[in-house]
Amino acid sequence: MFKELNPLLHSELRLAIMSILISVEEADFVYIKEQTKATAGNLSVQIDKLSNAGYISVVKGFSGKKPRTTCSITTEGKVAFEEYVENLKEYLKI
Amino acid sequence: MKFMEDRILNNSESLELISSMIKNTQEKITKNSGTPFLIWGYTTIIISLLVWGLSKYTLCGWSQALWFALPIIAFPLTLLSQRKKKVYVKTFVDSVISKIWIIFGVAGFIVTILAFLSPVLGVTSMPILFSVLLLMAMGTALTGLVIKFNILTICGIVSMFLSSACLIYRGLDSILVFSAIFFIMMVIPGHILNSKANKNV
Repeated sequence: MFKELNPLLHSELRLAIMSILISVEEADFVYIKEQTKATAGNLSVQIDKLSNAGYISVVKGFSGKKPRTTCSITTEGKVAFEEYVENLKEYLKI
Repeated sequence: MKFMEDRILNNSESLELISSMIKNTQEKITKNSGTPFLIWGYTTIIISLLVWGLSKYTLCGWSQALWFALPIIAFPLTLLSQRKKKVYVKTFVDSVISKIWIIFGVAGFIVTILAFLSPVLGVTSMPILFSVLLLMAMGTALTGLVIKFNILTICGIVSMFLSSACLIYRGLDSILVFSAIFFIMMVIPGHILNSKANKNV
């Protein structure tokens, strides 16, 4: 029997954010926005959802005088992402 | 590429998205990644020439102390160049490279301090220029291997061999040899790396 795909990750933008963060140590909001081509508002909402679930950590700081929001994946996020990929492989029979 | 939204994907779209995001991030060479090499390369060359000129043409007794200006100038400039980046992403490769340079930088600093203290410590004269060149060339070759940029690896390895020239040429002129090798080791690959990275962005 197939396991249900994690609904929090089974959305285009949230999955893209997690895929970026799984392959880097950390990335800022601007980088994620560039890579996903999402609107700033929508991206903020999705980052908050992932952060509230404990999948990513968000640090708000400054780079010189400019504000910088830096995101990184948490251990919980890595486990959830790996589980998601495993379940996806079962669905696709890979 | 279209704008991404909060839309539910089908399974194959999910897998495609994951692989394309990971591929994009891993293949990305950050804009101006050669800049730290240019900062350290040019600063070293300028300071070397100053030390050489002051020692050769003046009676300035403190010219050798100018070497300590190198980290004082180049380190803040490197930090400043990183800060200027509009987009910030730190990959695992970036992390490995910064650790490589911390270790080689500390080793270079220890060697320099020991060379200055050698008369006090009673150690026979240390081949300081050779030692620093060899360490920096090793760091450059390792960085080239980690980022898979062959020109940097080759320049690093060639400079490891060339560093022995500082054992052959003794006296003040070895400083000129030192700065010429730094040009090959850092300035040339730094410009090529920047030009390649800026084309890819």
